[in-house]
Amino acid sequence: MTHGKSRDPEICCARTPHPSLVAAWLQAPVLRELPLILGGLAHERGSVTAASIEARAKGVVEGMSLNQAQQFAPDATFQPVDEEATARVRQSLLLTLHHFTPDVAAGDDPGCAFLRLDRLALRWPDRAPLLVAISRAIDAAIRVRPALGVASSMFVSKVAADRATAGAPITVEPEQTRAFLARLPIGVLPLDDDLREYLELLGLKTIGRLQAISRPAFRRQFGLKALDIYDLAMGTDRRRLRAWRPAVRIEASEPLEPPVDNTEALQFIARALAEQVSASLLSQGLGTRVVRITLNQESAPALVIEARFAYPVTTAGEIFDGIRPRLLRASITAPLERITLHAGRLEVAYVRQPGLLVRRYGFKESIADAVARLQEEYGPSLVQRAEVRSNAAPLADHRILWKPA
Amino acid sequence: MPDRLQQAITVLQTRFGSAAPRPAAPSCPVRPSGIPELDALTGIGGWPVGRLSLLAGPRGSGKRTLAQQSVAAASREGPVAYVDFPRRLDPEFLSCFDARLDQLLVVRPKSLREGMASIRVLARAGVDLICIDLPRTRSAGLDAELPHLLHRSAEAECTLLLVHDADADDAIRYYASLILSFERSAWVFRRDGDLEGLQVDATVVKNRLAPPGLRKQWIVPYPIP
Repeated sequence: MTHGKSRDPEICCARTPHPSLVAAWLQAPVLRELPLILGGLAHERGSVTAASIEARAKGVVEGMSLNQAQQFAPDATFQPVDEEATARVRQSLLLTLHHFTPDVAAGDDPGCAFLRLDRLALRWPDRAPLLVAISRAIDAAIRVRPALGVASSMFVSKVAADRATAGAPITVEPEQTRAFLARLPIGVLPLDDDLREYLELLGLKTIGRLQAISRPAFRRQFGLKALDIYDLAMGTDRRRLRAWRPAVRIEASEPLEPPVDNTEALQFIARALAEQVSASLLSQGLGTRVVRITLNQESAPALVIEARFAYPVTTAGEIFDGIRPRLLRASITAPLERITLHAGRLEVAYVRQPGLLVRRYGFKESIADAVARLQEEYGPSLVQRAEVRSNAAPLADHRILWKPA
Repeated sequence: MPDRLQQAITVLQTRFGSAAPRPAAPSCPVRPSGIPELDALTGIGGWPVGRLSLLAGPRGSGKRTLAQQSVAAASREGPVAYVDFPRRLDPEFLSCFDARLDQLLVVRPKSLREGMASIRVLARAGVDLICIDLPRTRSAGLDAELPHLLHRSAEAECTLLLVHDADADDAIRYYASLILSFERSAWVFRRDGDLEGLQVDATVVKNRLAPPGLRKQWIVPYPIP
């Protein structure tokens, strides 16, 4: 079967078990095929974060208290979630898919990842070998065979992946989307409790029954907000694939031999490092919102200075203008052995529009960033938030809790 | 305004610049103050967005209470900031007006420069309303800061309220689009003798967006904690 001929996007959903389960299996392969419950130890207070299929078969579900889970599956293995290993598994999954195409997105469900296949038509004219290659690559990376679903939207591909098995991907052609969804229960739609109850009261238990209603009639009955659900039921998902980018680390460092003890030389080196960082940013079309400068002193603790920017900066001039006053204000107590510039908060580089032509600049700083910048400049007590702690306290100072915003 | 007239005005403005005719009361977006009497008094239905409004009057005339009531109303809709130069804001009083304190940023600057820089940055970041409580003492350098501040707030469509006890500087009077002067005409007591509020006399001294000179009298109730 060839792909890439139709104009509809082809989105593949790769579904694996919860990344925390995969991380636990990678650390202890003997736990595969055994009932495994993650979230904490059995006697602890807490809830189930993830459960293996074997544990689910015994009635354990996510969100259930650990005590209750133990009653359902007394022989299960209980473990806390290893957050770091979980994050590594998720990154690994996305990175593996990123090798196929940059059009990769992380799903809301931690075990799901999406990728667009229609732009791979030149390299992979047939879809079946591509799906096999994806499955093998994921297996090699995280030792789990994924379930794959292919459809023209994220929602339908996710539904297809939920119904696929590791060796048998499900492909839903665009013209079959409505028919594919029609036989499924309404539970697969992201319904809130009220709407679910309402639909069930009306006897609408399958998506097919819901598809039989006209859009205006559905809107009249359930309101404007519920139209998104109706569109999903019809196979229309307007969400766009938000591309995931692999983590990029941009920094420049220079050992100072002999150690530097005057500000002129420090500025000169900082300027050179700013140019290196700028070149790295430019080559990737990125801008930075925070530049972190680490000054390693000869016989004193290292100093870390942060310069925040209202918008993502890329050029060496802008970076240096931001860090120079902070370097000059830094309380350096010993000669410097090394200086490191690290570009953080990387975003797509912006081009500032002239204010005369555009009413606002082409970017907008968030209030949190603006407050952080003000506090960095004038001290943490400049912008505060107030909280009424207790109305009963006799003194005003005791009633109000002031804290830096 | 008819299209042909608008066209003619545009031609004249292109040719003569600032000397060309312009509408006496330009249209301006409005933010309701949350106080119906005050909205009626302004003539446009609330505080002008992107402009500076001055609340003037002696101490105890109710202007700060009204400003804080407006801040409380705005906090229910979006982020707001209160620039507290005299450092006497009581958040508990604000919360009695149902203010959302999680939406309120209180700026306590040590100098005018700090305060003005904060206002510019916050306005640009998307704060909807900024109330500036100025100190009684004359603020040196304010006249130089105001044009930048107004430019920024107009650009970011941020409403600026300025509360000032003393006689306002000429610069403030010049740059403010709306000046409301308040006076207390009486204290209002409940039957049990507790203070209920105050009766204010408000006058529109200056209004660039509607006819000035309107007067109104109403009772400003203090919130019951």
